[in-house]
Amino acid sequence: MKHRMSHRQLAALSLILGAIVIAPIVGTAAEATKAQSAKTGQEQQPAPTQPRANPGIEQEKTVPQIASGKWAGKRLPDGQPDVQGHWSNTIANHNNFTDPQGGIPGDPAPRRRPLPPRDERAPSRVSDPADGQVPFQPWALEKVKEFQANFHNPVKPQYVEPLARCAPGGIPKSLYWHGYEIAQYPGYVVFFFNSGTRIIHLDGKPHLPDNIKLWNGDSRGHWEGNTLVVDVSNQNGKALFGRTGEFISENGHIQEKYIFSPDATRYNYEAVLTDPTVYTRPFTVTIPARKWTEKDAANGWHFEVEHAKHSGKNILLDHYERTCAENNGGFGLGAVEAKK
Amino acid sequence: MKHQLKKQPRFSKTGMTLLLVASVLVLPLASLNAAAAGVKLPRLSNGKPDFSGIWQTTSAADYDLEPHSNRKDAPPGPGIVEGNVIPYLPKALEQKKKNFEARETDDPRTKGWTLGVPRGIYYPEPFQIFQRANDLNIVHQFGHSVRTVYTNGSEHPEDPWDWWLGDSRGHWEGDTLIVDVRHFNDKTWFDRAGNYHSDALHVIERWKYLDPNTIEYKATIEDPNVFSRPWEVSVILNRHREQNFQLIEDYRFTLDYDDAYPPKPDKQ
Repeated sequence: MKHRMSHRQLAALSLILGAIVIAPIVGTAAEATKAQSAKTGQEQQPAPTQPRANPGIEQEKTVPQIASGKWAGKRLPDGQPDVQGHWSNTIANHNNFTDPQGGIPGDPAPRRRPLPPRDERAPSRVSDPADGQVPFQPWALEKVKEFQANFHNPVKPQYVEPLARCAPGGIPKSLYWHGYEIAQYPGYVVFFFNSGTRIIHLDGKPHLPDNIKLWNGDSRGHWEGNTLVVDVSNQNGKALFGRTGEFISENGHIQEKYIFSPDATRYNYEAVLTDPTVYTRPFTVTIPARKWTEKDAANGWHFEVEHAKHSGKNILLDHYERTCAENNGGFGLGAVEAKK
Repeated sequence: MKHQLKKQPRFSKTGMTLLLVASVLVLPLASLNAAAAGVKLPRLSNGKPDFSGIWQTTSAADYDLEPHSNRKDAPPGPGIVEGNVIPYLPKALEQKKKNFEARETDDPRTKGWTLGVPRGIYYPEPFQIFQRANDLNIVHQFGHSVRTVYTNGSEHPEDPWDWWLGDSRGHWEGDTLIVDVRHFNDKTWFDRAGNYHSDALHVIERWKYLDPNTIEYKATIEDPNVFSRPWEVSVILNRHREQNFQLIEDYRFTLDYDDAYPPKPDKQ
């Protein structure tokens, strides 16, 4: 019997034990160690004092230009541009929505490396308005500040980032958490995230009734050349955008564009978020992503695969179960088991 | 119910007589023979049956795999176990009885945990199969949990983790998909009646079209820590054909805390 101890489980246990300050660091380190040790024959684990050969989660600092246009690349038999495979954002995780490489605000844990100046870090995920800030209404901005002030010592349930409880990552956070797989089928584009699944319907059926509210909303998409255009309704607004607490409400609406590069190795995500009860105006979120293939080494965050056992010489990729097992019981299996 | 698929009589002059004499028996056999009779099954471009679609059983299996009378928390049901009785080892039967007594609180379903295999298949919520030549992804509405069945010729990993849904490797025998599932954890049950297993569980599934909208699903279950011999369950899965039917995500393990989100304006 073997059990997987992921950073999520460590984070949950840490919360319970009150050792919240070290959770993000322990989590990241444990994640990397686990991936390295699980991968036989790989001896690339960097010592913490050495400069990292592998850029880790923060692969890049900039957003490449990818123009919307015609699709000249490979197509699937049903006519969809073929963009299947393993993908991940290139900038950062969900520590900080508007300063993605800036760390969690107010983090009491000492940084392992000094934070470079703001203009040497990746830009805000908010690409419009130009100041990179979410145009919150005053009440909502106060709530975000309150969340940030309490995040490191969450004395109330609403200060716990819900992903730490294995809630689905939601939109857009799922796109800058771990890597994920995009699979395509006649009538569907499906995103398999580590925490949640998004089924995008391409058949033009109407959205679900308004009173049904969902973590990942209800998605209707179509292809325009190299761009997957998706309309998302039925948000429950619960997922939050990261450890900085930005949010949309159950009245929100999201219009997404996934703009793929001609060789299908990159895409840019551009989403317009509208919510008359939370924001003063619509705003745009931009997230760059790259594809990972069997030519890449698995790395425990962006590309979490194993080489399958089989008799052939080609590489087949396994992706192990995505069940968020450790928190599969509400506040955490760790907590559940600790009760015994 | 005994299945005699391999010994079906060919339709011939006697077919009419059989229909007249024993239509109840013959009609199911005729539909079982759909593929042979020329009914077109959905197929992938590689010729294999395409199980893509949204499926659900009408069986009451999830209440209790074994035959049972009605009780306050379950309708009566004939069970889906071949031979009716699950062959527990004596000590394991005691545990099963304890589970039954505590089912209202101890059934992992009540906590929203991933249902496992084969329970997710006959649980009374729909699941969707997304199929390609090299894999099937089974998305269960309950928990939106995802099981990948590899059909790319790969084998089980050698020293893996334990998983809620096990590790699934499939291959085709004619038009039947055989899936070997191993490497489970011991945290799931088979039903609401406390039938259970250990982490030595091994499941062999057989998926076969009876007609384009009906799948016969069989599973052989073995677990030397809990059962004295392998045993078998069988259910019929029906395709959802309602207009615009879709899965509606059911992340019910979040229900205990999700009222905390999102922030709301303070009450005036």
